[in-house]
Amino acid sequence: MKTIRTVIRWALACFILVALLFPGSLLAQSTRDLKINEILVLNDSNYVDDYGQHSAWIEIFNSAYNTVDIGGSYLTNDPLNPTKYYIPKGDPITQIAPRNYLVFFADNVPTRGILHLNFTLEETDYVAIYEGNGKGLIDAVKFGPQKPDVSFGRLTDGNHEWGFLEKTTPMANNFTGTVESAGEKFVEMDPYGVGMAVIAMSVVFAALILLYIVFKNTKRIYSINLKRLFCRECKKEPQEESLPGIEITGEVNAAIAMAIHLYISELHDHEEAILTIKKVSRTYSPWSSKIYGLRNQPR
Amino acid sequence: MEHSGSFLSFVSDHLNQFFTYTAFANVTSGHLIMICIGLIFIYLAIAKEYEPMLLIPIGFGILVGNIAFMPGLKIGIYESGSVLNYLYFGVLQGIYPPLIFLGIGAMTDFSALISNPKLMLIGAAAQLGIFGAYAIALLLGFSPSEAGAIGIIGGADGPTAIFLSSKLAPELLGAIAISAYSYMALVPVIQPPVMRLLTTKKERLIRMKPPRSVSKVEKVLFPIIGMLLTCFIVPSGLPLLGMLFFGNLLKESGVTKRLADTAKGPMIDIVTILIGLTVGASTQATTFLTAKSVGIFALGAASFVIATFGGVMFVKIINLFLKEGNKMNPLIGNAGVSAVPDSARVSQVVGLEYDKTNHLLMHAMGPNVAGVIGSAVAAGIILGFLS
Repeated sequence: MKTIRTVIRWALACFILVALLFPGSLLAQSTRDLKINEILVLNDSNYVDDYGQHSAWIEIFNSAYNTVDIGGSYLTNDPLNPTKYYIPKGDPITQIAPRNYLVFFADNVPTRGILHLNFTLEETDYVAIYEGNGKGLIDAVKFGPQKPDVSFGRLTDGNHEWGFLEKTTPMANNFTGTVESAGEKFVEMDPYGVGMAVIAMSVVFAALILLYIVFKNTKRIYSINLKRLFCRECKKEPQEESLPGIEITGEVNAAIAMAIHLYISELHDHEEAILTIKKVSRTYSPWSSKIYGLRNQPR
Repeated sequence: MEHSGSFLSFVSDHLNQFFTYTAFANVTSGHLIMICIGLIFIYLAIAKEYEPMLLIPIGFGILVGNIAFMPGLKIGIYESGSVLNYLYFGVLQGIYPPLIFLGIGAMTDFSALISNPKLMLIGAAAQLGIFGAYAIALLLGFSPSEAGAIGIIGGADGPTAIFLSSKLAPELLGAIAISAYSYMALVPVIQPPVMRLLTTKKERLIRMKPPRSVSKVEKVLFPIIGMLLTCFIVPSGLPLLGMLFFGNLLKESGVTKRLADTAKGPMIDIVTILIGLTVGASTQATTFLTAKSVGIFALGAASFVIATFGGVMFVKIINLFLKEGNKMNPLIGNAGVSAVPDSARVSQVVGLEYDKTNHLLMHAMGPNVAGVIGSAVAAGIILGFLS
């Protein structure tokens, strides 16, 4: 049990260390997953808002696989004023579904609803989204001169590359070509499944070989006497050595016990004591549990 | 008189209308074929005791799913809002398989594997059936996702097959699940000829060293290290592997007996009932009786044969490098396909045919449980590549 406690302590220490070293992974699935995905600055005859107006718009993409609430964050077109437009909390419209979009209209008429911002994009070349504390930058984009009715966005949703898009795609995937599934791409390269067999079998083997190596050596590792390793005085003390690789079965133990018993006790022709191997009664036995769990052979 | 005449026509109209609602009016030959299949499953389960825990719920589910009815009454498994549809949600969303794995973990004893870790490799080799079936399915014109879902039948693991097909090819789920469970039940029929074909009499008589005793520390460490290692390599296998090892830790820790008892008792029973019944009910003739289903059944058989071949041949190859006295009996190779514990029992039965005192069951349990881990890892890899 002492060994188990030591192992648990080490495991906890490792976990805390990993958490401290890689804090980013703990922040996953938050407003950090939001991306400015596409913008249209000069909207002459393109996407109209719910008032029938052609306004500049900003599309936000939730790159996570869970719903993210953009409410409480800030949108701005001024790097010196990150808290320019506060997106109200608590409105269901601010909940962005997994891998989905929300479009804000930069028309400087915030009285039209929470999706209408208090700034436009004409006098700026910058858009950013900030966390609720007004300090943490979630995403920002700097854009140059824009063309009318041509949107500027990520070439594929959430990706790093930006450019002018062939089609404006508010509330839709920026990539308008045919999307191949991962499976289709895989089979293009590996039409007969040989690659899959080689890769997958290698991985399955690797996983189980790792387990094999670990458990081949586990007994040795946990039976190392750490005290003895680090304590000089202990090394000098004579230790009882266990014989490596020799397993003493219950029958052998019983025979040794009988021999000792006969040696210590007076020998009789007719023994009163009966030496027997009694089956230990317990609910679980490592080698018999499967037998008990088996059904009868099908007839 | 006029009034009574209109009443009679009212009664006859409504009787006619009622008749259109009955299964007699809507039944097709497809439904009757499926009902026969369901009855065969029930017969095999009761009379032959082939996987009765699975074949009875599935067989009865097939009967339930093939009662022909007028659409729109919210009773069919594919009709939104029906009770069966709600129960089927757990299959479609892949909820039931991890819960079953939790129970399997809580009732599985990994001692055989821990005492002789090289048996794990047999569990890996037997996954060849998955990728063999995948390759053949691609050749037969199935889409990559469908081929991946069909291939997993070779893992001989029902919950894994259901989990993967619900993600990759939900439309084939019924056929894949039925195929997987049918062949798992038929393991005593499929495997022995392949095992005999691939082994010599001398090999079948090999006696293996008795396994060493395994300490509690090793048993406690196994699920923890096993989960960390396998899931770090294949995170997409997390729902299955995580639950399997969690269930095993509940069992081996020795301090969560109540939780382990629930996981391996009432919980797995409830989920088995739900998964069996709904998978059976999902095989409505209109969606099930297709050429694709026939192909899936053929591929399922092929995958079991290839998996058995992989396991047995791997042991033979490994034996080339082992000293006399350390050699493994190739008859335990078939157990790597998982299908716990039936395939291990096949090793035992075939082994006893040639030597009445050579008990291979405990040795075969090693690759058997390694097969469960291996097939879950393989499912994770396929999911990672094809989803």
